[in-house]
Amino acid sequence: MNTELLHETASGGRSGVQAFADSRKATLWEMLTSERYFKWTLLIPLLVLLIIFMLYPLFYCMYYSFYEWGMQGNALFVGLHNYRQMLNDQSFLEALGRTFKVLVICTVSELAIGLGLAMLWNREFKGQNVVRGLALLPLMVAPLVLSLLWNFLLEYDFGAVNQILSAVGIGKIYWWSPELALYTICAITIWQWFPFSVFVLLAGLRSLPKDVFEAARVDGAGEWYTFRRLTLPMLSPLIMIIVVLRSMWLIRLFDPLYGTTRGGVNTELLDWRVYRTAFVYFDIGYGSAMAIFSLFLTIAICAVMFRLLMKSFGEV
Amino acid sequence: MIRKVLFWLVTLSVLLVVAGPLLWIFLTAYKAANDIFTTELSKIVVFTPTLENFHRLFTAYPFWKNLGNTAIVSVISTIVVMIVSLPAAYSFSRWNTGGGHLLFVTISTRMFPGVVAAIPFFIVFRSLHLLDTHAALILLYTYFNTSFATFLLYGFFREVPKELEQAAMIDGYGRMQTFRRVVFPLILPGLAVTSVFCLIWSWNEFFYAFLFTRRFATTVNVLISSFWGSIEVQYGPMAAGAAIAILPTLLAALLMQRYIIRGLTFGAVKG
Repeated sequence: MNTELLHETASGGRSGVQAFADSRKATLWEMLTSERYFKWTLLIPLLVLLIIFMLYPLFYCMYYSFYEWGMQGNALFVGLHNYRQMLNDQSFLEALGRTFKVLVICTVSELAIGLGLAMLWNREFKGQNVVRGLALLPLMVAPLVLSLLWNFLLEYDFGAVNQILSAVGIGKIYWWSPELALYTICAITIWQWFPFSVFVLLAGLRSLPKDVFEAARVDGAGEWYTFRRLTLPMLSPLIMIIVVLRSMWLIRLFDPLYGTTRGGVNTELLDWRVYRTAFVYFDIGYGSAMAIFSLFLTIAICAVMFRLLMKSFGEV
Repeated sequence: MIRKVLFWLVTLSVLLVVAGPLLWIFLTAYKAANDIFTTELSKIVVFTPTLENFHRLFTAYPFWKNLGNTAIVSVISTIVVMIVSLPAAYSFSRWNTGGGHLLFVTISTRMFPGVVAAIPFFIVFRSLHLLDTHAALILLYTYFNTSFATFLLYGFFREVPKELEQAAMIDGYGRMQTFRRVVFPLILPGLAVTSVFCLIWSWNEFFYAFLFTRRFATTVNVLISSFWGSIEVQYGPMAAGAAIAILPTLLAALLMQRYIIRGLTFGAVKG
C-alpha cells in the first residue's frame, strides 16, 4: 500500500510539496496499520461513538440529577434533594415495587413454560420445523404492535378472548381492572417472550452429552430423578443467561404499557414513571435522578451477565 | 399412544395461542367496522372481507411515508453500525483489546435504560434543531445497536481460526489484506445475521421514535400507536397498518430461524 502510493506520486510528477504531504500521510497510515497500533485504529469509530453516546448522556444525567430544572430558564442546584425526594416518593416506590413484581412473575413463568416445552419438543417429530418456526414469531414482532393487538383482544365487550370465554361458559373478565391490569400486562409479556426460554433451553438440551443419560438409564434412574439431578444442573448456565437477559429487558418495560393502560390503573412501572416525570411534567432534575437509579440497577445485573457471557465464549 | 396424543394436544394448543393473535391482525385488517365491533363469536373468522381499512389507511394517513421513514432510518443506522462495529469486533476478538474492560463498557450501553439517553439527547437535539428529523433517529438507533452488533460479531470472529490469518501473513499479506481477503469472506454470514438483527431492532423500536418525532420523521410504529387515541380507537386502519408493518419482521423470523436465539442471547447460545 505504502510503496504503491509513493510510486504513483513519483511517476505522476507532482510538486515536491504534494509528494511530501503524501509521504506524511503514508507514514500516518503506516503507523495506524502497524502491528502495534492496528488494534486501536480499528476501535477508533467505536470509541468516538462510546464517548458521545455513553459518557455524555451519563454525565449529563448525573449533573442534572443534582439540579432542579424545567427545561426552561436557569437550573437551580439542589444537591441531593432529588434523590431524597425519590426515596420518599410513594408513587416512585410503588412503581419500583411493581417493576420487581413484573420481573419475578415474568421470568419465573417464562422459565417454567420454557422448560416444559423444551423438554416436550426435544425430539424428532413430524413438522418440527413448522412448529418451531411458528413458535418463534412473537419474538420478532414489534412489542408496541403486540400491546395494541392484545389491548383489543382483551377488550371487555368486543374482545375475542372474552367472547370465547363467555361462549365456553366462564364468563367475561374485566382484564383492565385496577386489580388485574398489571397481571394482564405480565401475561402479554410472557406470551411474547416465552419462546425465548423455550429455544435457549432447547439448544441446551440438544448439546447435552447423550452417554450420561444412557448411563443413568442403565443404572435405573427414574425420569424425575434424571431431570432433577442431571438435566437441570447441566442447564443451569443457560437458565442464568435467560434470567439475567430477561431481567435487564423487563426493568425497562415501556412499549406494552403504551399500547394498553398508559401507566393507569395501577400499572405504572419504573421507566414509565421516569418518562412521565421528564417528558410530561418536564421535571428534568428529578427524572434524571430516577434514570440514574434505574441505570445502576441495570449495571449491577449487567455485570453478572457479562461474566456469564464470557464464560460461555470461553467454553467454545 | 396416549403420550403421542397428549404431545400433539399440547403442541397444537401452544401454536394456537401463539399464531392465533397474529392471524387475528390479518383478519381484522379486512373487516368492516361492524364486523370488528361485534359480540357475535363467529364473526372472528366468518365475515365479508373488505379493503376499506387499507383504503382509508393509504388515503387519510401518511402510511407509506411513515413506512418509508422507518425503512430509511433502519437501513442507514444499520450501515453506520456495521462500519463502526465490524472493525471493533475484529480488534476485540483478535487482540482482546482493552483486556475485556472495554468490551464490558461497550455491551453495557445496550443495557442502559432508554430514558437515561432520552433526557440528555432530547435537550441537545432540541437546541440543535434535530428533533423530528431522520438524523436524530439514525443517531439514536446507531447508539443502541452498536454495542449489540459488536458483541454478536465478536462471537462470529472468534470462530475464525487464527491459524488461517497467520498462514495468510506468512504468505506476505499485510494486516489490511488479511482482513479483506481472508477474514472478511468468512465473516460474511455473521455480518448478514447481525445486520438483519439491527434492522429488526430499529424497525420495531418505539420509545425513541415516539419521543423524538412529531410529524415529519414519524415512523410507522408511531402512526399505528396514534390510532389508539384518547377519544376514539380506530381498530380497522390500525390492524391494516400493523398487518403490513409486521410482515418484514415475520418474514425475517421465518428465514433466520437458526440464528434468532443466537442473536437474542448476544451470541452466547448457538441455537
